[in-house]
Amino acid sequence: MRGVNSLLVVLILGGVFCAAPAAGQAPIIVRKTSGRIAISVDGLRGSSSPEAQQFKRVLVADLDRFSWFEVNARGAVVFAADVDSSGGRLQVACRVMHRGSRRSYLNRTFAGAASQARQLAHEVHDALVKAVTGRRGIAATRIVMIGAAGNQSAKEVYLCDADGDGLQQLTRDKNVSLMPRWGPAGDRIVYTSYKSDFPDAYIVDLVSGRRERIAGFPGLNTGAEFFPDGDNMVLTLSKDGNPDLYALNLKSQRTTRLTRTRSAAETSPTVSPDGNQIAFVSDTSGRPQIYIMNRRGGERRRITLHGSENVAPDWGPDGRIVYSSRRFGRYQLFLYDPRTDKEQELTQEAVDHEDPSWAPDGRHVCYTREEAYRQQVYVLDTISRRSIRLTRYAGSWYAAAWSPW
Amino acid sequence: MIIEKRMLSLVALGLCLPLITGCPKRSGDFGSDADTDLLSLDGGRDDIAMLPGSRDSLVGAGQRDHGLTAIQFDYDSAQIAASEQGKLRVVTEYMRRQSRVRLVVEGHCDERGSREYNTALGERRALAARAYLVGLGVRADRIHTRSYGEEKPSDPQHNESAWRANRRGEFVIYN
Repeated sequence: MRGVNSLLVVLILGGVFCAAPAAGQAPIIVRKTSGRIAISVDGLRGSSSPEAQQFKRVLVADLDRFSWFEVNARGAVVFAADVDSSGGRLQVACRVMHRGSRRSYLNRTFAGAASQARQLAHEVHDALVKAVTGRRGIAATRIVMIGAAGNQSAKEVYLCDADGDGLQQLTRDKNVSLMPRWGPAGDRIVYTSYKSDFPDAYIVDLVSGRRERIAGFPGLNTGAEFFPDGDNMVLTLSKDGNPDLYALNLKSQRTTRLTRTRSAAETSPTVSPDGNQIAFVSDTSGRPQIYIMNRRGGERRRITLHGSENVAPDWGPDGRIVYSSRRFGRYQLFLYDPRTDKEQELTQEAVDHEDPSWAPDGRHVCYTREEAYRQQVYVLDTISRRSIRLTRYAGSWYAAAWSPW
Repeated sequence: MIIEKRMLSLVALGLCLPLITGCPKRSGDFGSDADTDLLSLDGGRDDIAMLPGSRDSLVGAGQRDHGLTAIQFDYDSAQIAASEQGKLRVVTEYMRRQSRVRLVVEGHCDERGSREYNTALGERRALAARAYLVGLGVRADRIHTRSYGEEKPSDPQHNESAWRANRRGEFVIYN
């Protein structure tokens, strides 16, 4: 009976993720309620050095946080590793196998500087996810966001790891920053800063640290988002007298107007994975709603028909759009699938859920949770609907965007 | 009530239009969109609605102690209410007397609604005030806009009276 249930769950998971095990691979036993794969980590042994202990702690936390696995001593997937710490190096020999069939999923040694124990744990977690499920893990990805720490009037751009640790301040503009987004290769951040006293758009190169103003037109230069080619962007400008969407070519500096609505504003553009379409917010109907149009502008199609406001769309890697919809006075997260024209509710709790952004795995979403005017970034697993708090710092943290792989 | 406001803004527009269309059309400064001659309901021709091409003359933080009073807006609205029109006439008179200064109209919102939407709403508030001032005769290339959305509340509290105070258009003077 248990076997039948397990097979069923594997089929369901396969249907959702297209992650059915390769032919001949041993079936994975998962718990039907959570869709998680039970994994035993009792074989995680080795050095008692602080770095080795940190490695273990971070790996076990990742297994829980990213929801592919559930740590269980009797799990069908057995993870064993010898952690060796010496001479400032950390070496982890990993073996992952199926308990019943002894089939090996992974047999590989990972190594790095002892000071990089956290990164090494994320790397091992992602390798584990890949070996057992065939999907890529996101523990080694990063998140960019706005933080108002301490001095509430300065809102700076910060980066952190996908587990919320490793906080790094990216800007020191001592002014308002808005809407950070990743470049398609994960090596650039575009955002809007008031450092010139006006809302101009800048790109920060994360490798060189160099910053360049890419749009400093009179009026708004906000909400900039990359096309997948990395050379073209779409953003809101108001230089022609009204907030509309424009395409901007970074090489030629040329702008092309995409919308032309005189008594409405177009904001929050997000580009489809193939780069051919743009979803955005417009209040032509009187309230902000979400529309889709061709990348060159033209006719638009409204996709949100429920909720008094629908804002902050993010077009995910698998083609689904996540957005924030105002229902019964609260912002809730919803999914829209352009292929089926159907929407799906993701959250229900009576707090505000805003600014969702897809992780590159198309499964997790980071978002701003606001309760009693306090904002923190959370991560939602769209399968189990479990939310985990990401930021545990004083102040306000919001407008998070998840990096690509 | 809403109809009344619309009527008022139509009346204001009727007053503005002769002034707007009477402005000499400047060529070369403003790019070349295909249909610059389109008339719209809320601003006149594109070359008037268009913001000045350069912000170079706006150096420093600007002056806020000029005695001009901020205008207020209704919830989720960028319409210039009848009660605020007198304040804009005072601004027009100030601009006439101080013929060399430039003006930044700064749009602000209350904290309700999404930040991105509010950033655009603040800009539309600033643009509406700008269009009104242009209608009263202030030269379009002397008025810039800046939206802070909900980022700089004048009252940090979370209640109706704070929200009302925060939905505003401020005037910043640059010499």
